[in-house]
Amino acid sequence: MVAEDGSRAAEAIVVAEHFGYRYAEGDARSLVDVSLELDAGSLTIVAGPSGSGKSTLLRAACGLVPHFYGGQASGKMSVAGLSLREHGPSELAAVCGTLFQDPESQVVMGAVRAEIALGLEQRGESAAAVARAVEETALALGVAHLLDRRTDTLSGGELQRVALAATLVNRPALVLLDEPTSQLDPVAGDELIGLLRRLNEEWGTTVVVADHRIERWLVAADQVVALERGRIARVAAPTEYLDWLAQHDRARALPAAARLFASAGLRPLPTTVKQARASLQAVGLTPSLIGAATARPRARNGEPLNGEPLNGFAPLRRRERPGRRGGAALRMRGLWYEIDGGPAVLRGIDLELHSGDCVALIGRNGAGKSTLLRHAKGLLEPTRGSVERAGEVALLLQTPGDYLIHEHVEQEAGVAGTNAAGLRGRERTNPRDLSGGERQRLALEVVLGVAQTPALVCLDEPTRGMDCASMDRLVARLEALASAGAAVIVATHDMEFAAAFAGRVVLMGEGVVLADGPAADVLAGGWYFTTEVARVLGGAGGALTPEQGARRLAGEGGR
Amino acid sequence: MKPMVAVYAPRASALHAARAAISAAFCAAFALVGMLYQHPLVLLAAFAGVLAAAAGARVGGELLALLRLALPFALFVALVNPLVSQRGETLLIRGGDLLGRRFDVTLEALAYGGVAGLRTLVIVVAFGLFSVAVDPDEMLGLFRRLSYRTALTGSITTRLVSVLATDGARMREAARCRAVPARRGAVARATLSGALDRAVAVAAALEVRGYATAQRPARARRPWSRHDLRVSLATALLLATAVAGVAAGVGGFEPYPRLDVELGLRESLLAGVVVGLAVAPFAGASARLGVGRG
Repeated sequence: MVAEDGSRAAEAIVVAEHFGYRYAEGDARSLVDVSLELDAGSLTIVAGPSGSGKSTLLRAACGLVPHFYGGQASGKMSVAGLSLREHGPSELAAVCGTLFQDPESQVVMGAVRAEIALGLEQRGESAAAVARAVEETALALGVAHLLDRRTDTLSGGELQRVALAATLVNRPALVLLDEPTSQLDPVAGDELIGLLRRLNEEWGTTVVVADHRIERWLVAADQVVALERGRIARVAAPTEYLDWLAQHDRARALPAAARLFASAGLRPLPTTVKQARASLQAVGLTPSLIGAATARPRARNGEPLNGEPLNGFAPLRRRERPGRRGGAALRMRGLWYEIDGGPAVLRGIDLELHSGDCVALIGRNGAGKSTLLRHAKGLLEPTRGSVERAGEVALLLQTPGDYLIHEHVEQEAGVAGTNAAGLRGRERTNPRDLSGGERQRLALEVVLGVAQTPALVCLDEPTRGMDCASMDRLVARLEALASAGAAVIVATHDMEFAAAFAGRVVLMGEGVVLADGPAADVLAGGWYFTTEVARVLGGAGGALTPEQGARRLAGEGGR
Repeated sequence: MKPMVAVYAPRASALHAARAAISAAFCAAFALVGMLYQHPLVLLAAFAGVLAAAAGARVGGELLALLRLALPFALFVALVNPLVSQRGETLLIRGGDLLGRRFDVTLEALAYGGVAGLRTLVIVVAFGLFSVAVDPDEMLGLFRRLSYRTALTGSITTRLVSVLATDGARMREAARCRAVPARRGAVARATLSGALDRAVAVAAALEVRGYATAQRPARARRPWSRHDLRVSLATALLLATAVAGVAAGVGGFEPYPRLDVELGLRESLLAGVVVGLAVAPFAGASARLGVGRG
């Protein structure tokens, strides 16, 4: 490919021409008239709401669509010169590595070393070459200490890194990743993104990642491919993509830092926290000044900053916290839980939740969050200490699909539950055909039941793989439950969700409560466990959400 | 969640550190003793030897857990023979007639039933030791050069057992969280359907890793470690002793018509050698220091 200035640009590694696809059992086409070129060595984000075709596009690029899933394909697509018409996923595996969302399904061997070696062994590489590649890949990805471990003893984050190592051991020219950080805590997620950036920058590997939360990828991305209903809505550089989102009534999909700027009428929209801070500093808005800001920010020459508050942008929402706390819905006193013959998972937990509380439970993978919720429901018996519940406890665990066991939506939650889940008109749909967000809503109604509002509602990682529209609906439903008198506690790695939903945040680590207080106090000054807006504003005034930050910038004082 | 069946448990032991083929042969040698001999002392020695080897390999707990399942089965085997066999001259219990058939219990039939139960136990614990101490990936790797895809499918099946067990436990937990309890049939059907989904996901993952175009893997050459040498030596001696013992008529045992058990120096020596060879790979400083491979 020759650029306009005559220099030789990178060769395209993925080329699609009017590519379309319909799943065998699907009514609608999942990809429609997709034409794009992805340059070798680039990092591309595939963005879009749930059901827009992101995963299908990745499946096509690795050959699973149509060779594995069947269905009807039209148009052309080639990967590293191999046409999809003639080459299936096994042949494309020589040039393309794929990492799926759930590493449990991706890891096939019992031992980590065997797992990483598998791809090379399948290619018939010599034992010495396999051993060397396994060693080097393990070192590069920081999993060398796991090589002699069994795969069924690894944590989610470790398993994801091992799956990535197994994907990369072949040194593929193209790596496809579908929601690779959705199962990881913020620390493990940042580590994985760092690894992939290094891979892209130092090894020249082409990286294509589909993710709902694009903010952490934007800094390294060369382009964003936006999909809507299977069609390419936009292919643009990150900055242009953000502008496009802001101008096309899609502002809710903006990353938090960009949404902060858009809400405050600032331009240009930043792609990174660093860029956002620099932009604010350039107009004299340092974190300490923001805390005391009273006037609309102006440029150094005294002119108002470029850009106006967005027309049609959602009005700033101030979520009302329950003013008065009700009775205790849950009391945990000196709660210990020790695995039989294993470590202590909970160590002396004291926690009290009151009617109307909206609480986010945060912390690293393995901190004890899920175990705490299981104790709240009574699925586990404490080794020591007590748990008192004021009434029924509803618990929605991490995989909503586990709750959906019938053939039709209506059989799962009844008419009232189906309506409450926003699925009116889809009563006869098979729950397996619902999107991730829809399944989540239906599963929530399954655990809530129709009789009454439980005293306590517990959710474990409900926003995994969820787009912003689904997240907003979930926040609204949880707020309604809290208003009706339930205490709501949500274990989450999603700090933006925690800030949007919770009035109180409990930070756990190694089975103990490390911090427990108002969301602004716990999240605003954090390093990992904080929001993008708090990072941009340095925690000024405790602003966590874009709306709170915009008010802070506008000098309204806050929250 | 503890698995119902014995699964491989990596430990820092000589048996784990030795190559899979040798460790498997070591376990099989004890099963062979159980098959070749009926002599109770030799069988007891083989049983004790496997337990001692398990302790040496630091999987004693796993094997004891397996024993809890195997003992009732061995007891059943031991009790069936005296009830169904009327052979033997030493009457212990005179039973009645049932459907025109006498049911007496003789000492000989009881002894032979006990031996059958003991043999069953030896074979079960020997394979139990194999399950918990021999790396299944490495074991399946031995077959890959013969039939790569079959071996890989076996490996995936092994892995899927634990994944599906976890999936099933998760679904049962979800069922407990439903506001309206679900019928067991619905949960079981959903679990099965989830297993199929999981299998499809694993198949897709294999496809993108080149399964369909897989070639026969290259032969891996690994230098012999001291653990390989010690375990293989113990295995060879055990096999040789067991076969030689049979050839020399050691361990004579005739249950019928009257119980006749040879209990001489040769039998005691054979039993001692079996136990000694079971612990030999784990004895000495070099074995204790063998925490890794090589």
